[in-house]
Amino acid sequence: MNRVTKRTWLMGLFIAILVGGMGFFLWEYVGNAAQWVAFTGSPHIYNKTNLGCGTVTDRDGTILLDISAERSYALDPLTRKSTLHWLGDRKGYIKAGAVTHYAGNMVGFDLINGVYSAQEQGGRARLTLSAEIQNTALEALGNRKGTVGVYNYKTGEILCAISSPTFDPDNVPDIEGDTTGAYTGVYLNRFLQSTYPPGSIFKVVTTAAALDCVPGITEKTFYCSGEKTYGEEKVTCETAHGKVNLSTALTRSCNCAFAEIAELVGKKNMENYVRQMQVTQPLSFDGVTTAAGNYDISQTAPVSFAWSCIGQHTDMINPARFMTFMGAIAGEGVGAVPHIMAQVESGETVTYTAKTEKTDRILPKDVAKTLKQYMRSNVANGYGDWNFPGMNVCAKSGTSQLGGDLTSNAMFAGFVDNEEYPLAFIVVVENGGYGASACVPVLSKVLASCKSVLDRG
Amino acid sequence: MEMLNTFLQQNASVPDGLIGLLRYVVPALSLLLLLRCVIPLLTFRREPEIWAWLNFADGNQVPITHWENVIGRSKNCDVTINFPTVSRNHAVLTRYDDGSWTITDAGSKDGVYVNGKQVQICALNSRSRLSIGGVEMHLQPISEKQEQKMAQLRTKAASGWDGVANLMLLSVLQILMALGFLLGGAGEQILMIAEGFGGILLCQWVLFLFYMIIKRKSFEVETIAFFLCTIGMAAIATVKPQEAMKQLIAMVLGVLVFLFIGWSLRDLERAKKVRYLAVLAGVGFLLITLVFGTEYYGAKNWLVIGGMSLQPSELSKVCFVFAGASTMDRIMNKRNLIMFIAYSVVICGCLALMNDFGTALIFFCAFLIIAYLRSGSMGTVALAITALAFAGVLALRIAPHALQRFATWRHVWEDPHNAGYQQTQALMCIASGGLLGLGPGRGMLHHVFAADSDIAFATISEEWGLITAVLTVLAIAALACFTIRTARVARSSFYIIGGCTAAGILVIQTTLNCLGTLDILPFTGVPFPLLSNGGTSMIGAWGLLAFVKAADTRQNASFAVRLNGRESE
Repeated sequence: MNRVTKRTWLMGLFIAILVGGMGFFLWEYVGNAAQWVAFTGSPHIYNKTNLGCGTVTDRDGTILLDISAERSYALDPLTRKSTLHWLGDRKGYIKAGAVTHYAGNMVGFDLINGVYSAQEQGGRARLTLSAEIQNTALEALGNRKGTVGVYNYKTGEILCAISSPTFDPDNVPDIEGDTTGAYTGVYLNRFLQSTYPPGSIFKVVTTAAALDCVPGITEKTFYCSGEKTYGEEKVTCETAHGKVNLSTALTRSCNCAFAEIAELVGKKNMENYVRQMQVTQPLSFDGVTTAAGNYDISQTAPVSFAWSCIGQHTDMINPARFMTFMGAIAGEGVGAVPHIMAQVESGETVTYTAKTEKTDRILPKDVAKTLKQYMRSNVANGYGDWNFPGMNVCAKSGTSQLGGDLTSNAMFAGFVDNEEYPLAFIVVVENGGYGASACVPVLSKVLASCKSVLDRG
Repeated sequence: MEMLNTFLQQNASVPDGLIGLLRYVVPALSLLLLLRCVIPLLTFRREPEIWAWLNFADGNQVPITHWENVIGRSKNCDVTINFPTVSRNHAVLTRYDDGSWTITDAGSKDGVYVNGKQVQICALNSRSRLSIGGVEMHLQPISEKQEQKMAQLRTKAASGWDGVANLMLLSVLQILMALGFLLGGAGEQILMIAEGFGGILLCQWVLFLFYMIIKRKSFEVETIAFFLCTIGMAAIATVKPQEAMKQLIAMVLGVLVFLFIGWSLRDLERAKKVRYLAVLAGVGFLLITLVFGTEYYGAKNWLVIGGMSLQPSELSKVCFVFAGASTMDRIMNKRNLIMFIAYSVVICGCLALMNDFGTALIFFCAFLIIAYLRSGSMGTVALAITALAFAGVLALRIAPHALQRFATWRHVWEDPHNAGYQQTQALMCIASGGLLGLGPGRGMLHHVFAADSDIAFATISEEWGLITAVLTVLAIAALACFTIRTARVARSSFYIIGGCTAAGILVIQTTLNCLGTLDILPFTGVPFPLLSNGGTSMIGAWGLLAFVKAADTRQNASFAVRLNGRESE
């Protein structure tokens, strides 16, 4: 009998598995329950595939989406189109990652009561976006595809982030049956999910690298004859720029000068600086993560390396990430991480308030300051200050060649160096042709709209 | 009824307020009830009983404290005789219900001699001279008077009033839960729900009265079981209220099976006879299912008779426990273990043919427990586990739906609409319910398949809160702890093995059910004992509970233990 009695310890093992497993679950519950509740399809928060727990407004309180019962969008058709990519469509093709991320806060979820208190009263999520700016940007883009992003590099608030093409969720066009290509990639939020060859806006990265690691670079001059040959291959400029220095090479976007600057920086340094400035890394905020960019020069010939420093070769950047990079230059090496959610309330209680999160220092202060001067000079001496009255814009344009017969993508990135309007921006017009000529008119309208919104307070 | 409904419609905030209150009252009452039931089960004084004395020729006296005692040289023996000619496990001394004793040779080298004659098995009396490996002794059983005295001195199990108080608590809980459904707007289904809860309430009091009549006072194990049935009824009320009556009938049948098995276990000789029947029935149930069964959800473990779906494998579990339990004299005999292993192989073969992965796993774990308790050899257990691993790999290759469950394991969020649907929905709803629940009838999980059985844990958690749901799991764990604790004072290894295996099956089923729902373990669709909706499973669970109850040797506690003589209060 004694021995049988002693062997009952085996039962203890089974009990330990049961109780231990439950303990493990409770640990998971504490850590993950908020995500479980807000997961797509969660029956207490979603109506089928759509979130159903309150209203989403823009920064001024304009209702963009009411998801208490049926999903109803803004009253204004243009607003419905310009904000769709942040709110999601009825069929769930467009994922509203950021809003979904705060669904738990909207319903007032907490670990003790679950969603009990939220059953009667809905929540309210206020975005940092301005419907007014969104609409201006979408109208300015017209029928062209692309994205416009503007954010406050001091606070991190995204004021504008549109993705074109888009559609009116209350008047859905025949997307499946479309053969014109007008709706290609319509379900993508281009600001977050796309990557583009950067073209010359990438020269800002190369300039920053050169300023930091090439001694006496600001005094050096380069001669541009219109092309620089590498055996049978070459780097070309549209015109011969003649004698240029770093600053004028950037202003006039001289490829030949940058090919030489690339050699001065060197492959290893260039790789390190791209990593340090994080321009190709995915960016995460409010539960969304942007697409990762690309900078790969591991097995490249000198000519390809030269092109990689001019923003061609296999370089890819994501608009949201590059805009953040611009913000960091504006902030003299440290910017703010962008965010789209300003505040979330459940019933009467505020359950979430955005806090400004600083980026890492990605550039030394003096490098950022010089870069700022150069980019300021680009606008003052190149793109024209009359496009941005009352602002002090620093920027760089890019015309990224796509190969084949495709018209180049027009790119434009920079920031406003002004205490009143601390805005960093990026404009991408797909197949828009020349960077400045396609993007500046768009940005001009968008920044004017931002100014009036910010002036209003 | 109509007046009440109009009243509720006019005063919408009244039910909300009351449901708000219920969210706190139900977990609190459940906790109090379980504490009151579990504490006596886990803290009772374990008093060794002395049934006889073994008097040695040199004047030494050794007390015999069990009904089955191994005599031998090994330190693990109940009576250790450290003498070179004594085999390690020499003989087994067994007491019977009528107070008679036998000695059985456990395959010793030098044999057992009674009054000078070598015997295999022999009845003993106080004049019998016993010689084991040349050591002379004689057995001196205690007298009937001493036995009565001992019974009187033993601590009584809980007084009847504790049982009454516990049942009152449980009754309040049942009434409040039914009321919750009424306030939660159960509509016309409230009658079925009220019948369900009311039926359990009635049944528990009738059983308690019956215990009073047969002078048994301990009702903790039963109260825990009725508590689980009540919580299960709450899940049925929200998912399939039309099945409340069916489940209630199954519970009543279960209680009857519980009483029958308890009665048969009361007398070991009777138990051994019933055991033969059970062994046959265990295989019989499975064979019938194999021949006449219907395949649902990939497993052929259903028997449809006259519109009723039965799962005979649930009853086979009870039979298997019967088959595995064994008295000490038989344990010492290797042949019996081999017979049992052969029996297990037949059972496992049937289950493999039925393609019922979950049940096979439960039987296997039960087999492990029995094999280890009987042989004490980790080697045997390791061998069995290796065999299972091979069989498991084979089974997974053959049954794609089992493989899919393994593929989904810990990856449910990657496929929330198909393979991971039940579990992700369950987790979302558990989180939505929080610790205190959303209130009866306010859940959404009832739209999901098997919300009242396979994922009942989540349904309870959603509507009544995670605290209540976790308490149901702890209740099962407490029953298992009780069987370990009571094993020390068990009279026969038959009860230890039976009780431990039965409790083990309850624990394993709970583990697979709950941890499967929560994606901690692969999802196997095994019922939560006593709680999941399912008639056969309910009856089977009560049957297993009888073995747990039979292991309880506290005075006046278990109907499965005979009262001493014509003992009165």
